Amino acid sequence: MRQARPYSGIFCGGVSARTGPHALPLARIKKIMKRSAGETADGGARMISGEAPVVFSKACELFVAELTRRAWAATLEGKRRTVHREDVATAVHNTDLFDFLVDVVNADTAGGDDTHDVDDVGDGALG
Amino acid sequence: MDSSFLPAGGAENGSSGGANNGVVAQQAPPPIREQDRLMPIANVIRIMRRVLPAHAKISDDAKETIQECVSEYISFITGEANERCQREQRKTITAEDVLWAMSRLGFDDYVEPLSVYLHRYREFEGEARGVGLAPGGPPRGGGDHHHHHHPLKSRGPGSGAAMLPHHHHDHDMQMHAAMYGGTVPPPPGPPHHGGFLMPHPQGGSHYLPYPYEPTYGGEHAMAAYYGGAAAYAPGNGGSGDGSGRDGGSASHTPQGSAGFEHPHPFAYK
Repeated sequence: MRQARPYSGIFCGGVSARTGPHALPLARIKKIMKRSAGETADGGARMISGEAPVVFSKACELFVAELTRRAWAATLEGKRRTVHREDVATAVHNTDLFDFLVDVVNADTAGGDDTHDVDDVGDGALG
Repeated sequence: MDSSFLPAGGAENGSSGGANNGVVAQQAPPPIREQDRLMPIANVIRIMRRVLPAHAKISDDAKETIQECVSEYISFITGEANERCQREQRKTITAEDVLWAMSRLGFDDYVEPLSVYLHRYREFEGEARGVGLAPGGPPRGGGDHHHHHHPLKSRGPGSGAAMLPHHHHDHDMQMHAAMYGGTVPPPPGPPHHGGFLMPHPQGGSHYLPYPYEPTYGGEHAMAAYYGGAAAYAPGNGGSGDGSGRDGGSASHTPQGSAGFEHPHPFAYK
């Protein structure tokens, strides 16, 4: 049995006015893509199909979820319950798939550790 | 285009030109604003919270790091997709290029769910949308997404072809109805998922082994996907209707080492 088409309202209501049904804003994704894509061989701007950010909105969700899960594993490993940036770094270092993030997490770590939660024990237990 | 009405290029190039015509901002390439470079932190946190247990806390630096990582991820994948376009002398990066890049860079487990997601999106967007990919058939990973068998191999015993999401449109319609439960009356039938509205076979013989669709449906539906439903109704899969076909949704998650329930179907081990 078929329901009435539910499409009509989805992009304006029920979810988020800004992102539609997507978890992340497509325009923002597209901007980041544009910057990474550069130019075509003849110097024109690389174009991005409207569907590509849609794919990314979902992909980033999967990605954040996975990275978070792995970071949380590192948090637990240290017998803590606050995810710190070091946990994210550990997750990145432990996962081949995330090799491309090494610079990001290293740069972050070098940036100083001014924000420090003190609710944890065993903070030094990381890698 | 802003420079087109300027009398000459000189004003544009001279960095000391000052405020002629009041276009000061045009002189230097605008610095990349934070809000253009990163995903909104609130969205990122929301996704993070979904996979963390309720008692977990997230420090600000971790949030920011993940926020940075997301941008890096997009750049990483886009760069690869871009190269492919360059090689093939195409001007536009398509969704298919993105999927291709992901599978090339090791994120091949994402391809299947993303293809399904894209497929749904196209259906929403209507017939005009499919032109990027559908005709001609992409090399792999794009248009034939519904007929891949590999990601389902590990879904547990008994998960044969019956579980495959066939290319059925009324099936999709049901999914849509289910995932937009907020705006659409739920399909009739006894709910047996602890009251949570999940895509239900509803007499159809095919059922996604794991619920991609709720992720499309916004926060509440996503909660189901990312662990909310599993937390509320543990063990709802498998025996709910006696068929065992629901089992993939929540209960077959071997990765319990972290101590939280998460039905993520494409975990790396």
